[in-house]
Amino acid sequence: MKGIAPLFLGIVGTFVFSWAGLILIPNYQIGHLEPQVDEDGNDPYPAPKSGMADRGRRIYVANGCVYCHSQQVRADYAASDLERTRDLDPKKPKWGERRSAPRDYLFEHPILLGKMRLGPDLANIGKSAPVEGESAAPAVNTAGPATTQPSPASNPTPGASPVAASPGVAAVAASPKPAANSAAVVGITATGNGAEAPYSAAWHHRHLYNPRSLVLDSNMPSYRFLYQKRRISGERAADALRFDEPNAVPEGWEVVPTYDAKNLVAYLMSLDQSHALKEVKTSGAPASAPVAPPAPASGSPAPTKEAK
Amino acid sequence: MNPSELPVRPSTAVPGAPGAGSEVTLRDVEQVERALIDASTRLPVLFFYGSAIVWLLLGTLLAGFTSFKLHAPDLLANVSFLTWGRIRPAHVNVMIYGWGAMAGIGTAIWLMARLCRTTLRHPLLLIGGGAFWNLGVVLGVGGILAGDSTGYEWLEFPPYAAIVLFVAYSLVVSWAMLMFRFRRGDYVYITQWYLLAAFLWFPWVYGTTQIMLFVVPLQGVMQEAVTWWFANNLLFLWFGAIGLGTAYYMIPKVIGRPVYSYHLAAVGFWTYALFASWTGMQRIVDGPFPAWMITASIAATILTIIPVATVGLNHHMTMRGYFGLLRYSPTLRFTVFGAIAYTVFSLVGVLLSLRSVAGYVHFTVAGVAYSHMGLYAFFTMVMFGSMYYIVPRLVGREWRYASLIKLHFWSSTYGVGLMVLMLLVGGLSQGASMHDPSLAFSESTQSILPYLRGRSVSGLLLTVAHFVFAFHFGLMLFGLGRTASLPTFLNPQEEEALEARL
Repeated sequence: MKGIAPLFLGIVGTFVFSWAGLILIPNYQIGHLEPQVDEDGNDPYPAPKSGMADRGRRIYVANGCVYCHSQQVRADYAASDLERTRDLDPKKPKWGERRSAPRDYLFEHPILLGKMRLGPDLANIGKSAPVEGESAAPAVNTAGPATTQPSPASNPTPGASPVAASPGVAAVAASPKPAANSAAVVGITATGNGAEAPYSAAWHHRHLYNPRSLVLDSNMPSYRFLYQKRRISGERAADALRFDEPNAVPEGWEVVPTYDAKNLVAYLMSLDQSHALKEVKTSGAPASAPVAPPAPASGSPAPTKEAK
Repeated sequence: MNPSELPVRPSTAVPGAPGAGSEVTLRDVEQVERALIDASTRLPVLFFYGSAIVWLLLGTLLAGFTSFKLHAPDLLANVSFLTWGRIRPAHVNVMIYGWGAMAGIGTAIWLMARLCRTTLRHPLLLIGGGAFWNLGVVLGVGGILAGDSTGYEWLEFPPYAAIVLFVAYSLVVSWAMLMFRFRRGDYVYITQWYLLAAFLWFPWVYGTTQIMLFVVPLQGVMQEAVTWWFANNLLFLWFGAIGLGTAYYMIPKVIGRPVYSYHLAAVGFWTYALFASWTGMQRIVDGPFPAWMITASIAATILTIIPVATVGLNHHMTMRGYFGLLRYSPTLRFTVFGAIAYTVFSLVGVLLSLRSVAGYVHFTVAGVAYSHMGLYAFFTMVMFGSMYYIVPRLVGREWRYASLIKLHFWSSTYGVGLMVLMLLVGGLSQGASMHDPSLAFSESTQSILPYLRGRSVSGLLLTVAHFVFAFHFGLMLFGLGRTASLPTFLNPQEEEALEARL
């Protein structure tokens, strides 16, 4: 090849062409979205994360959670994400009620969509938590007829204390028959003695500290360095972790979350894409007939989650 | 465009061939000239190679650790900087910026000097660039382990490390450009196209990405698009271009005949630049993006069959009739393996990008297999080949043990082969379980455990390969190579038969 000019121009040209095509034009299309509001200009979604949740994202990034956990729900024509319930338990919430859309990530920096799933998707993990006290409306994730009694163990975590009080939650935790069945089949166990409601803040803390004490076949590393094991001085701390018998801490000791751990759990609890978006169809539960719980709440299509 | 102009050893210049008498003086002049050029690149290239190999060993240890932790999650889990989520990006970035980039730059400098037929001026400044680069990688890896990762795949180095890398790179690239500016001869060989492109593409891609992520960050999901655009361009336009350029030099050089077709090479280069740079978005298939972006990348990925076919055909036709030399030449063996791996890597890439397949393999370990095919089976093997060629010319000694080279080659080959096989099959099985909503999610992670253990075994093989190579390189560095007029052949008992050929 003679002459350096065509070579140089070609090298510049291909670079600019690819940059314009894959970055510039898409950025024009989806790079300047605004939060969605309702007719009255209220109820903006999404909202920037604030306070502890925002700091928790740093912990999530620093410890590489993104390498195993995605935060995106794919459309129903592409994958079965929308049909998946947590732990194969029809009583437990689904991975998502609708696919993820660009608008869900307006304020994310860094964005943590994830590219591998060695652990379940977390796009709605906060929504999977038991319903908070103030939003008493029955959401999809609470099983309908709460027949079992609330768990005797009272939950010590202050932030989530209303959680443990909710009877619907205890119904999930205290292993009703179908759940126990599926657990036996797939080797999953829910909380051994029904302590923390799954995906509550207290559950996350215990799961982070010792994943296999809650999920037998989990391959998640434990994050004990986010917790502090210390001698109890005087009263047992209110936020100390509870353990089952084989994992119990010695008498006189307690394990408490550090500030980082609290932020991380706050971040996890804030992950929620359940708010309906105009541009995306919310599935409700029509297609998932086999896994639909017999609760009346799930029959109504698209329970649009004003609960949030 | 006359192939006989190519700076490869013309086949007529075989010593002892009839009618070669008049060329002897010319050959002598050329050899002295080459020796001078090699001598001028000696210190910087050895510095880059030495650093690269140290990073390779570190990256290998991190990789083994990463792999073992996947099936032994409690292994050293209580130390924050050894948690899996930090070791993994540390491994990836050490391999990319420590091993891959430094080995690539070392080879590229040497090739550039040889092909421009110019000595490297002020080599010490280039060493300064290399030292800065090392500093950047140290800062970056330290940052990741300390919990300072940025969270973007392949870009985890915190901004303070990225700036150091960028400065170091500017030093290196200006030296390469200067050599190019002062080249002798008015033709530019194929290898130089690729190297020139790689040298220019890297700072543009890296710089624009850093700006779009950290200086004026794009909104939401566009960051993810930028990350994948970057990762794929780094893979193709930087590592791919250096690897292909090196193969275009080494294969004709070792077998002593010109490249089969110059025009085919030109077609291959431009289609490569055009199509490969548009790939990347197939890795975010079905994500929250406009579908056309992903479709465009899938189409571009399919179109990369054109450059792959032309490059593969060109190498094959160049090699035709000379495949027997693979028995002897370490350089040729590694390079040809890399060239074949490039074809396989690209075809697997096409397969994995198709929507029907991607639905299964997305979010699985198959993506890891794909990266290792590109960065290891192709790029790293070509780099090993070039090192086996270049290092003896820099230190004036030949490789000491043919047996160690063979051990290196076979451990690397079986290691990467086993790894790719395990991860591809494991990925398909993981994806199939994930695709079926009647199976628990944990079924998919349980189903890949045997494959992950197999991958750890392959990691042991690669560890052996890399430590053997590092040991051998160390011998060369300390002047413990053989003093011989003939290069170290892999099967020395037959080298006399070969002598007549070369």
